[in-house]
Amino acid sequence: MPNVTLRVNGDVVSRDIEARMSLADFLREHANCRSVHLGCEHGVCGACTILIDGRLARSCIALAIALEGADVTTLEGLHADATIAQLRESFHECHGLQCGYCTPGMLVTARDIIQREGETTEKRLREALAGNICRCTGYAGIVASIRHAAEALKQD
Amino acid sequence: MKPNPFNYVRARSISEAIDLLASHAGEAKIMAGGQSLVPMLNLRIAAPDSIIDVTAIPELQQSGETSDGAYFGACVTHERIQRGETPDPSNGLMPRIAARIAYQAVRNRGTIGGSLALADPAADWLTTTVALDATIEWTGPEGPGSCRAEDFVLAAYTTRLGPADVLTGLRIPNLTQQARWGTYKLTRKTGEYAHAMATVVRSSGRSRAVLGATGGAPIRLPQTEDHLTGLKLWDDGAASRLAATMASDLQGVTLQISDVHAWQLRTCLIRAAQMSFGIEAPDMETI
Repeated sequence: MPNVTLRVNGDVVSRDIEARMSLADFLREHANCRSVHLGCEHGVCGACTILIDGRLARSCIALAIALEGADVTTLEGLHADATIAQLRESFHECHGLQCGYCTPGMLVTARDIIQREGETTEKRLREALAGNICRCTGYAGIVASIRHAAEALKQD
Repeated sequence: MKPNPFNYVRARSISEAIDLLASHAGEAKIMAGGQSLVPMLNLRIAAPDSIIDVTAIPELQQSGETSDGAYFGACVTHERIQRGETPDPSNGLMPRIAARIAYQAVRNRGTIGGSLALADPAADWLTTTVALDATIEWTGPEGPGSCRAEDFVLAAYTTRLGPADVLTGLRIPNLTQQARWGTYKLTRKTGEYAHAMATVVRSSGRSRAVLGATGGAPIRLPQTEDHLTGLKLWDDGAASRLAATMASDLQGVTLQISDVHAWQLRTCLIRAAQMSFGIEAPDMETI
């Protein structure tokens, strides 16, 4: 089997894998990143959203073998990140989750939206969240949480 | 939801990619960003023996200005166009299109060349490159080839590319300063594949009106284009006159288009034309 070496949350992870292994499966099975959730496995639901070289990506439609040398960050690796810390607080405060399955992808995506756009309109926020599906909350709590976090971060 | 087993090869040059394609006799697929191909592998709609990754080929990542426009390597991502990291020959149309393809996580990896080579009828670049009169370039065992974007797509998922041809990039001529554009797509939700799309580029010399997400190749509307070239302002009768020219244009088209689909395409065309006159379309949420 071919070998791939990449960096996951700062640690070098090198494994012999099947070429068909998705980055999502690699992260869960070989790097113990269980925040990476698999919903649709074809790039629609957003539950597996992570960062590749600092850029938002879907780990279910990235092949691990194609990412030799890449720097991958999952929600675990953002534990001490100031934006994620505030989002965690805000999701708690504004009821941004129910079952929690979509939440890691929501948080990583929300961090990207805040970093790109700061405080933004509800319309723009809902557009930017269109690629992350939640079947519990009806999104109202998630949208409120992200707006809450963006406002709190602006005040800091 | 896992792909069939396949071999993975990272090509280092265009000629290596062509040799690999030729030696696999139709059983290999080129992968750029993988944002359409990997879902197809996961769903086992595609099951090639080999995947040839072309993202490590330096030429395919390049973009730059040319004497009369801009060049885009096949592996330029939607995000780089969205962010303005590439030249813009289109007075803002290309960044606007790029910013509305799928979702940010997909735009960050998906490429303009991959989108064109796959030729999903709903892909935004298929319609946009025809509206901008792009030239698509490739290299194959017979050497380099090229054609105008409007001749590139033959049918759904079918292009002029031969079995061992590699799409290398595209050239887009500069729009004139006074050219005005508009674009509109109907999607069930933000980021979903379009059910219908239209892009209009209006200028005094020559206009373009192109329908996309047709189920086949993008459709140019010659009579509508002539009408738009002469149109100086958007008045009360403009929408119905445009609908009439579009209906007339579609009579010459062999592709089967249902009544509902024609209605959707007409809506997109009218809104794209309105946008070229500075009239913003109503918010989808309020319709």
